Amino acid sequence: MTWLRFEAVEKRFGAGADALTAVAPFSLDVAKGAFIAFLGPSGCGKTTLMRMVGGLETPSAGAITLEGAALGAPDRRRGMVFQSYSSFPWLTVEGNVLFGLRYRRDLSRAEKRARAARYLALVGLAAFADAYPGRISGGMRQRVAIARTLAAGSEILLMDEPFGALDAMLRESLQVELRRLQEAERRTVIFVTHDVDEAAFLADRVIVFTPRPARIAAEIDVAARLEGPRTLGLRDTPEFFALRREVHAHVRAASEDVAAGASADAAAVAPEEAPR
Amino acid sequence: MRRAADAWAGAAAGLALMALWEASARFGLVSPQFLPGPSAVAAALARMIAEQALLWHAGVSTLRVWGAFALAAVMAVPLGIAMGSFRLIGAALEPVVDFIRYLPVPALVPLAIIWFGVGEQSKIFLLWLGVFFQLVLMVADDVRRVPREYHEIAATLGGSRLRALVDVALPAMGPTLVDSMRVTLGWCWTYLIIAEIVAADRGLGFVIWQARRFFKTPEVMAGVLLIGLIGLVTDQLLRRAHRRWFAYLRP
Repeated sequence: MTWLRFEAVEKRFGAGADALTAVAPFSLDVAKGAFIAFLGPSGCGKTTLMRMVGGLETPSAGAITLEGAALGAPDRRRGMVFQSYSSFPWLTVEGNVLFGLRYRRDLSRAEKRARAARYLALVGLAAFADAYPGRISGGMRQRVAIARTLAAGSEILLMDEPFGALDAMLRESLQVELRRLQEAERRTVIFVTHDVDEAAFLADRVIVFTPRPARIAAEIDVAARLEGPRTLGLRDTPEFFALRREVHAHVRAASEDVAAGASADAAAVAPEEAPR
Repeated sequence: MRRAADAWAGAAAGLALMALWEASARFGLVSPQFLPGPSAVAAALARMIAEQALLWHAGVSTLRVWGAFALAAVMAVPLGIAMGSFRLIGAALEPVVDFIRYLPVPALVPLAIIWFGVGEQSKIFLLWLGVFFQLVLMVADDVRRVPREYHEIAATLGGSRLRALVDVALPAMGPTLVDSMRVTLGWCWTYLIIAEIVAADRGLGFVIWQARRFFKTPEVMAGVLLIGLIGLVTDQLLRRAHRRWFAYLRP
């Protein structure tokens, strides 16, 4: 069932000869509750695409629709988790999660506190409720941001390389935790990353992007390939190995295609630009 | 531990400088007419407190500084936030502010007297002039340095642009804002002396200028020293407040 839909979405920055196409016409249907990974090289336009879902950028052409209605300005339905500046340093951990509920008029104070406490417990930070983000680890800070977005009631979590600044071990345990949270909460996740392993481990579907402008190079249906819960042990299974190799091959092919195209272009213009 | 060591280093350097100064006066390296030693200055300071109501003059000056500064800050903070947050407001006002900012305050003293006479108003005006236009630009820069992510988090939680300014930008810029204010408050004293020297019958600038007319160098230096002390104490208090208010910055 289609829930979130990209319809020939395009994004150009600037105008005229200097215009930069960040996203080529891009179409994709996303089912509710799906975990989608946008996998591609840095600067390929996958983040721009995700920001358009959040309403933080507007498409130059095409539309993104949610339940048939075009998405506009940002709202609570689509929550962001950034890599850095993901939580407010002047608020405690609890204050940060409560901030997710700040603009909700439908909840009483007590309800907000209860909800914040629930999500703090869910991400394992109940004991750190009164700590400031500057005094907890980077991994905990990301969990604060996730708890805030979940508590806010966002239906789509937009995550922009949220674990990109963490060390490998912490990253893996947070990936397990995120997947567990997502399976428990059944929120839709769009997870932007350039890490093949991370995309393959987390997602139901991995969308491999070409270098800029963002286009779909390949789509891998991970959910059909990996059964059962995503645990740390999964990484050592032959199924995961094979999957990762396949995703890797797609990523490499996508960048090689473009590299070949670029050198062909360079050869074509070379005569005019030959050094005098 | 480190803080204590820093304090000792500061005190030791200050004492060494004082000793050098006293020695050069005692041994006649410079004429006491021109550079009286610290003991003479301290004696002058005590005399002025006892006989010339120096502390009252200091109080008058401090009130002028704080009054004018408060007025400037109350106006500069919202305007600076508006200039830094809304491109069109910034584009419209920045050239004007930049122009006025470069007008030297002393050159405007005659105008201030024509407009406001020689009373309190012209002094407040001069101080305000010296601080407001500088502070506005600093606040605008402070708000521009707030990470875009903070605004975007607020927006995706359902907060309007205006709410995000109050709920996110203001606390996020808090530490730099207080620093900007601390720096500009110091400048206020510079302009105060100019305002008080030209036309005043009270205040530290007036006292210093009176002493100069009678060539009372120790008195002049005592006045200057007192301004320095007030500045030092204010600055330390503000730094301490900064550490308290923004304790979350320390890991």
